[in-house]
Amino acid sequence: MVHRRSIDGDPILLGNQGALWGNAMTWWDHDTGSLWSQPMGEAILGPLRGTKLTLMPSTLTTWEAWKSAHPGTVALDVHAWPTGFDLVDMTIVVDFGTETVAYSIPALRDVGVVNDVVAGIEIAVVIDPNHDERWAVFSRRLDDSTVVFTMSGAGLIDTVSGSVFDPFVGAGRDGPLANQNLDKLPAFTSFPDDVGTFFPDARIWQG
Amino acid sequence: MTSRHDGATVAHSRRMWVPVLVLVSVAIIGGVIGSSVLREANPVLVRADPNETYDPVRDGEPAPDGFRQLLARDQIAPVYEPIFTSASQVDWPPDMLVIGVSGTSESKAYPVTHLNQREMVLDYIDGEPILVSW
Repeated sequence: MVHRRSIDGDPILLGNQGALWGNAMTWWDHDTGSLWSQPMGEAILGPLRGTKLTLMPSTLTTWEAWKSAHPGTVALDVHAWPTGFDLVDMTIVVDFGTETVAYSIPALRDVGVVNDVVAGIEIAVVIDPNHDERWAVFSRRLDDSTVVFTMSGAGLIDTVSGSVFDPFVGAGRDGPLANQNLDKLPAFTSFPDDVGTFFPDARIWQG
Repeated sequence: MTSRHDGATVAHSRRMWVPVLVLVSVAIIGGVIGSSVLREANPVLVRADPNETYDPVRDGEPAPDGFRQLLARDQIAPVYEPIFTSASQVDWPPDMLVIGVSGTSESKAYPVTHLNQREMVLDYIDGEPILVSW
């Protein structure tokens, strides 16, 4: 998960509390010592209780898939080794506060794109048909209207204008909206069995 | 906020000056000698001593159901000052999973196997402070 590490614009430092809550990690912040839940991104005890950090768009994918989509990427300067599990073992979680939806990656691979509405926000959950280790969640609001996507080998197609977008980075490739970029929305991956612990009311999308 | 915590905050503020000066000096020297690695000019935040910082559970607030304190704070040390290199300089397996973050001016990759060990990386993207956690 990737969170914006600031409160009202002021950066904060967070550390590892060394404790689990709901089998997930907890943090402490260096200013107030408040206790934070990682999956919620929220302080659950202490002076900042109820304060929430903003989840940021990020992805979990293979090094090869990331590097080829972002050739200028920098890499954390560390030794690393094979992961031991695959993306297909994970589920993509979209949590917009009042509604949470978990999308099965194997089922997503079958359809390429899911046009959905989560907490009133129109989204598309997308797997790149040419590189199925790549996924992204985009807004379906474009030019003050809502679009519906289909997937083809050429990319993500807006069925209204016929424009084609890159299914991973969201850049327009062809058609009348080729100069536009889709907005990425925050989401994260989780093991399917862990979703219910923090999001017991989550809707489970399985195709 | 309890009165006990107010007291801790004031004491903490007074203690901040010496570490601030030390960290600023280290940052200046590091900036000069560290020019061979990719670094960014980010604000220096002062790290607190976990043992001298308020801890809600240790200091008496009722822990939520299912809360289990297993280790000391920062016993699994977060990466507070990550260092990056170019993609061509790492020998990572191509099928290894990374968390990828892309801003308007930069993209960064964090290997999951490293995050499994350190759990947290305190970083910046486009100059905005972020926390990458696993």
